[in-house]
Amino acid sequence: MIIRYFRFFAVIAAIMLGSCSSEKKDSLSIQSEADLAGLRVALTAGSCYDLDLSAREDIMLNRFNNAPDGLQALLNDKVDVLVDDETVFNAVIRKEHGIKIACKGDKSFPTAFMFGKDHEDLAKACTATQKRMEADGSMLQSKDFWLKDKYIEAESLPFIPGVTEGTPIKVATACSTAPISFMVENQWYGIEVDILRQLAKDLNRPLEIKLYDISSAIMSLESGLVDIVMGGVFVTEERQQQFLFAEPYHAFRSAYYVVDHEAGKQHAGLWAELKNSFRKNLIVEKRWKYITGGLWETVKISVCAILLGSVLGLGLFGLMRSRRKWMRSVATAYNWFIAGIPQLVLLLILFYVVLAKSGFSPTMVAIITFALFFASSASDIYATSLDAIPHGQTEAGLALGFTRLQTFFNIVFPQAVRRGIPLFQGQCVSLLKGTSIVGYIAIQDLTRAGDIIRSRTFDALVPLLVVTVIYFILSWIIGLLLKLALPKKHVI
Amino acid sequence: MITISHLSKTYHNPDGSTPQVLRDVNCVINPGEVISIIGPSGTGKSTLLRALNLLDLPTGGSIFYDGEDILRKGYPVHKLRQKMGMVFQSFNLFDHMTVLENVIYAPCKIHKENPDKAREEGMALLRKVGMAEKADVYPASLSGGQKQRVAIARCLAMKPEVILFDEPTSALDPTMVGEVLSIIRQLAKEGMTMLIVTHEMKFARDVSTRIFFMYDGVIYEDGTPQQIFESPVHSATKAFVQRIRKEVFQVNGPDFDVLGMCTSISRFCIKYNITDKRETVDRLCDIMLDDIMASYRPMTVRITFSELSGETALDFMVEGMNASPLDSVQKEKLGALCGKIVEEPTDRGFRIKLLLQ
Repeated sequence: MIIRYFRFFAVIAAIMLGSCSSEKKDSLSIQSEADLAGLRVALTAGSCYDLDLSAREDIMLNRFNNAPDGLQALLNDKVDVLVDDETVFNAVIRKEHGIKIACKGDKSFPTAFMFGKDHEDLAKACTATQKRMEADGSMLQSKDFWLKDKYIEAESLPFIPGVTEGTPIKVATACSTAPISFMVENQWYGIEVDILRQLAKDLNRPLEIKLYDISSAIMSLESGLVDIVMGGVFVTEERQQQFLFAEPYHAFRSAYYVVDHEAGKQHAGLWAELKNSFRKNLIVEKRWKYITGGLWETVKISVCAILLGSVLGLGLFGLMRSRRKWMRSVATAYNWFIAGIPQLVLLLILFYVVLAKSGFSPTMVAIITFALFFASSASDIYATSLDAIPHGQTEAGLALGFTRLQTFFNIVFPQAVRRGIPLFQGQCVSLLKGTSIVGYIAIQDLTRAGDIIRSRTFDALVPLLVVTVIYFILSWIIGLLLKLALPKKHVI
Repeated sequence: MITISHLSKTYHNPDGSTPQVLRDVNCVINPGEVISIIGPSGTGKSTLLRALNLLDLPTGGSIFYDGEDILRKGYPVHKLRQKMGMVFQSFNLFDHMTVLENVIYAPCKIHKENPDKAREEGMALLRKVGMAEKADVYPASLSGGQKQRVAIARCLAMKPEVILFDEPTSALDPTMVGEVLSIIRQLAKEGMTMLIVTHEMKFARDVSTRIFFMYDGVIYEDGTPQQIFESPVHSATKAFVQRIRKEVFQVNGPDFDVLGMCTSISRFCIKYNITDKRETVDRLCDIMLDDIMASYRPMTVRITFSELSGETALDFMVEGMNASPLDSVQKEKLGALCGKIVEEPTDRGFRIKLLLQ
C-alpha cells in the first residue's frame, strides 16, 4: 500500500520537475498578427479570435475550452502562442507562470451584453444604465479599476448591493476569469458584474449569475432559461441576427502571449512549490469551499440518481418480464434509446428542450437524466442476477413449504443480491464519474469546482489532483456502502 | 391418504405445441406404501410427482389428500407441501447456506423452531445420512451423492408425511448411487410413505411395496414388484422391464428394399452386441421373405432383443390372416435354425415368432 502511494507521489514529482526544467532559450518574438504564420496558436473555441483567425490557413489553430487550458498548453510547449484578450492574464499571473505579452493585436473587439429577442426592454434598460454610468463617471472608474489591473492590489473588491426580492434577472456568464466576471468566496465580481449590478439596482430586481460554457449559455438564452448572456461576449453579425445586444461597453484588444524565457521562473524547491500551490488553490479566498460545495452537489446528484434509477429500474424490469408483448416492446425500446444516446446529449435535451419550461432546477434535471440512464442498467442487473439463480432453487423453496413470496425473499433474493452487488457497484461508480458533465447545465459540481479554481489560479495540477482524489474516495465509499448491503453470511 | 382420479396435464409450450403428458391417472396411495414409478422417458412419471405437490398444476381431474380437495381454489398449497417433502434429481440445495443451515432453514422459518433446538435436530438428521462431518461446509464443495444425502436430510427436517423422490440418483455417477439408495432403503424400513420415480430397476424391485408402470400418460400397470417384474400383464410393461429393444420393418410389396432391411438388422445386431446371431437372422429373413412367405404381403417384420434375458426374436406378422401359413416341412426347416417357433393369432392378423437361441 505504502509503496503504491510512494509511486503515485513519485509520478507527480516527476511531472512537476519536468515542468520546471526547461533549457534556456529565447522567447518567441511577435511584432504583429502577420508573424503568427506557421506557429501553433491556442485560443478559446468560439471566441472572436477564433472567428478572426480561423480564415488563416497558415496558422495551426488549437481550440481550447477556456483560458486556463490554453495556458497549460502554452506552458507545456504544445503551442507557441496564446491569443486572448489583453486583460485575462494580469501582471501577477504572467509573472507567476512565466509568460509575457509578445505584442498586442491591431484589432479591438466590441463587447456587450447579449439578450434574447423577446427581451428588448431589458436590452434597452441595460444600454440606459451604461449611458448613465458613463455620464456620472462610474463607468470610467470601473474600467480604471478592473481593466488597469488595479483590482489585484485592492484591499476589497467593489460590491453594489441590490434587492433580494422580486423576479431575478437571470444571467449566464461564460467567463470565470478576472477581470470580466469571476468568483471570490461564491460572490461574483468583475467589470461586467458591476454594470449588471447597476442595471439590477436601476430595475429594482435581484441578480442571479450562473456559470455556463459559452455554447450552453447561448442554448440557455435560446430556450429562455436565462435573460442575459455575459462574460466577454463579442458582438458578431451572426449573433446579432439571432439575439439582441446592448451597446458595447468596451472594445477589448487581443494580446499574443508567449512563454517568457528571459524572466526565468523562481523555483522555491519542490516541496515549497507544492505547498504554495495548495495554499493558492485551496486556502486563498477560501477556495476549498468550491470543492466542498461541488462535492455536495456531486454526492446529491449521484445518490438521488442511484436511488431514483434503482426504483425506475424495478419498473422497467417489470415491463421486461411482462406477459404483454407491447409492454416488453416498451422496455426494449427504452433500453435501445438509452443505449444509443450519449449522456451529455440527453442532459442537454432534457434541460434545454423537454424540461426547459418545467421549472425544475438544473440539479433536478441532472438527477432525472442520470436516473434514466441508471434505470436501464439497473433493470439489466436485476434481470442478470435473478436469471443467474437456477429455477431449482425456487422449486426447492416451494417444495419445502414456503409461499411464493417467502421463497423469493428468503431464498432467491439473497442469492441474487450477492451476484448483483458487484455489477451494481460498477454502475454506481460509473454514474458518479458520469456526473462530471453536469457543469454543462451550470451546476457547480466537483469537476466544475476544479475548473472554477483553475480559472482563478491557472494552475492545472493541484485542482485536478484534489478533484481526482475525491472521486477516488467517493468510489471507494460506494464500494464500502454496498458491502454493508450484502446479506449476512449466516442465515440462522 | 392420497386419492387421484382422472388426473390430466397438458402443457402449453411457447412454440404452440400442446403435448398431453398425463392423460388419465387414477390411483389411491395409502400410508406406509413405498411406490416406485417406472416407465420409459417422457411418459409422465416426473410430471405425476410434480402434479402431486402442485409444482406443476394439473389441467384436469382431482387429487384428494386426507379427504381434502387440494385442487380447489384457495387451498393453502404451502401447507400441503410442508407435509409432502420432495427430493429433486438436481438436489437444489441452497448454495448460499451451509449444509446445516440448508437442513434447519425451513423448520426455523416456517415452523418457527428455536434455532438451537433446530440445530440439534438438524445434526441428528445429518448424522442419520452420514453428513454430520460436513455440517459447516457449503454445498459447492460436496459430491453429488453427498448433496443428495443433505437434500434428503433437509426434506426430513420438515417432518413430512410423504416424500416424493424425483429420480434421486439420475444425476449421480454410478459410484454414488448406492449411498443415496441405502438411505431411501432405511427410510422405507422406518415406514415412511414414499413415491419414487426411478430407473434403478433392482432397487425398485427390492424396496417398493408397489410399482406403477407409467406409459403414454397413464398408469399402465399397477401391482406388486413380483407381478410387474415377473409376470407383467401388458406387453409394454414386459418390454420395459425386460428392457426389450426392437426394430420394425413394413414389407409392403415386391418393391420392398430387402437389402436395406438387412443392413438395418446388421446395425441392430452390432448395436446390441449380438453379432454372433447376425448370420442366422439373415438366413431366417431370406427364407421367410423370399421363400415361405413370399406371397404374403403386406407384412410386418420385427426384430427384438431383451437386454435383461438376452433373448433375440424375429416376428413376422401378416395382417388379416387367422391361420398359420406354415406346414410341417417348413417348420422343420426353420426349426433347424432357431430355437423355438411360436404361432399365434393376434387382433391384427397372424404372427409367427422365431426365437433364437
